[in-house]
Amino acid sequence: MLVRSIYRGIRSEFGRNVFGYGCRSSRGISTNALGINMDELPKLHPSLLKRAETLRVELEDLETKITSGTFDQETNVKFSTISSILEEFAKYENYRENVASIIEMLNEENGNDQEIIDDCVSELKEYIPKLISATSKVQVKLIPKVSNYDKPTIMELRPGVGGSEAQIFTNDLLSMYINFANTKRWGWEIISKTEGTLGGLTEAILSVNEPGSYDVLRHESGVHRVQRVPATETKGRTHTSTAAVVVLPKLSEGNESSLLEDERQFAPGEIRIDTMRSGGKGGQHVNTTDSAVRLTHIPTGIQVQQQDERSQPRNKAKAFSILRSRLAALDREREIAEQKSLRTTQVSTTDRSDKIRTYNYSQNRVTDHRCGFSLHDLEGCLSGEKLEDIIEAVEQEEVRERIESL
Amino acid sequence: MARISPRLIKDAYSISPLLPYFLRANPNISLAKQELKWVQEELPQSEWRKAARSRHNLYPLQYILGSQPFGSLDIICKEKVLIPRPETEEWVLRLCSVLKESAQNLSIVDACTGTGCIALLAKHELKDSAKVAAFDISTDAYQLSMLNRDAHKLDVNIVKADLSEPAQLMHICSSFDLILSNPPYIPLSDYKLPVTLNGIEKSVRKFEPKSALVGEMEFYDLLVQNLVRPFGASGFVFELGYREQAEFIRKQFCEEEWGSGILKDYSGNVRCSIGWKRGSNLDILERLCDEVL
Ligand SMILES: C[S@@+](CC[C@H](N)C(=O)[O-])C[C@H]1O[C@@H](n2cnc3c(N)ncnc32)[C@H](O)[C@@H]1O
Repeated sequence: MLVRSIYRGIRSEFGRNVFGYGCRSSRGISTNALGINMDELPKLHPSLLKRAETLRVELEDLETKITSGTFDQETNVKFSTISSILEEFAKYENYRENVASIIEMLNEENGNDQEIIDDCVSELKEYIPKLISATSKVQVKLIPKVSNYDKPTIMELRPGVGGSEAQIFTNDLLSMYINFANTKRWGWEIISKTEGTLGGLTEAILSVNEPGSYDVLRHESGVHRVQRVPATETKGRTHTSTAAVVVLPKLSEGNESSLLEDERQFAPGEIRIDTMRSGGKGGQHVNTTDSAVRLTHIPTGIQVQQQDERSQPRNKAKAFSILRSRLAALDREREIAEQKSLRTTQVSTTDRSDKIRTYNYSQNRVTDHRCGFSLHDLEGCLSGEKLEDIIEAVEQEEVRERIESL
Repeated sequence: MARISPRLIKDAYSISPLLPYFLRANPNISLAKQELKWVQEELPQSEWRKAARSRHNLYPLQYILGSQPFGSLDIICKEKVLIPRPETEEWVLRLCSVLKESAQNLSIVDACTGTGCIALLAKHELKDSAKVAAFDISTDAYQLSMLNRDAHKLDVNIVKADLSEPAQLMHICSSFDLILSNPPYIPLSDYKLPVTLNGIEKSVRKFEPKSALVGEMEFYDLLVQNLVRPFGASGFVFELGYREQAEFIRKQFCEEEWGSGILKDYSGNVRCSIGWKRGSNLDILERLCDEVL
């Protein structure tokens, strides 16, 4: 029964989501003495297999294109992306074949020769974990990308419930994302920031300029909750406060040179631009420093206001960039809602009002409620070094859900 | 400027002890916070308190910080020279985006250039497709505009000259296609009135040069007689503050030869008079008009 226990051990260690599509419970039909069969091992969903096949054909086409002398940037990038996906896929296939042949041996052996069984067991011990990790890696790569996955990111942070403590937490989250960007060596800039009281923030907009960072950071969207004793609390009581994080793909630079292109995205009359009017006659009569610009997207009613820059055109450019991002996010929400309504089982992760994560100071713990993952290193999370562990767990959970809904 | 309640001062103080000083110059606390933030970002800490006191005295923020953004340029600002206005920035940018589409070898002059902002931004935007010159009567303006030109390394010919002296203007260039100007346009009667009665802000009256502000029709008359006509220009954009000024300018030109219109600013106020010689390559200026006269 040794193999079964290894198998169970692996199962409990890695969690059920690593087993990929179609894993049966261990009560499935056993075809060998040790009660293990291929159906119980991780395997890819048929539609992902089909996608791998499509990619293989595509790669061949690209190969002929390149050997016939086409050498443009786009073809090259495509070629290297696809080959790296197929490399992962080859690993997966390789491990699966290995494991299959070991199991086949076990089947034929039927439990008579202890030495062979021992060999098989030790090989399974080596290969099953490898198969598991290869499966989850290739799944992430084969699953269709979300739109704008290759874009930089805009993150909007605002305090929720909890007064000034929520404002301080908003500032903590901002630092966490800046630290995270620094550890990844991603460029970033603060687009705007409004300070509240006691070192807190009433709003912050952060731009992470690395292309593709959106696909990582989008998992941070949602309500974050903190449980701790505020510095101002005299009786030592723990408070619960929240901050909301909205993550958007960044579609334009948001500077004077991108402004023209951004404005062109909209039909005349689609946007109302309000500049804070200077009093009276304006012009030489007054000297205003109010450079705020507010955009209203008339069809959706979305409003964006920017005032951090002393330059009005710069505020306008930033506002346009943020507006485009928000509209892209809205498109994506609609897309998800449509997909959901086609499905019978509801995916619970993307509800805006849901708390996605809790930062518990007294327990030194960060728990992500979407995947149940807990990191017992709050400091490491806030310093940006361990945040990726959480994001990866969320990503895996998302992949699992998406595969289930395929 | 609204009355400042003790409550507001208390609230401001709880955010920063320096913030109350910014309340007098600003209509609300969020703008005051914004100004304090800019001061803290741009000046060394040792100067914050002095800056706050000056601002309490309604001293212009741009003189405190030493600059004002104008398009993508940071224009150096100093006492005795008018601070560039956002309304001016707006029309200059609009003008440049129209000219960029079809301008070729334009010769432009900016009369009464002050800090040099109009001429410098035009050169910055239009690059080699335009030759730009500028002049001002004031020595302070002349020196500051030179300083700004050098800071941005822009090829603009700047001269100290008086718009009312044709002989001085002759030295600048033999001909100009396009005349730009933001001359003093506030009638003396309004110069003395508060903003609420269509007059001017206290801070402007107290700290910006009167000679850059007070004027009525005479400057437009000079611009037409001493620049547009003798230099054979085929277009002009003149900033102004009153519809009467636009109508006055319109009357200087015969309708068969010249088209003319009004540009309004982002607040909906009449802001520029625009003119173009019919059939010339500057009839594209018509696109800037919110109203044809
Ligand atoms: C309203 S300010 C405009 C400054 C600048 N063009 C701007 O838009 O910020 C008017 C300028 O006209 C200048 N000025 C006044 N009388 C003048 C004259 N007779 N000839 C040339 N410049 C004159 C003043 O020195 C002042 O700099």
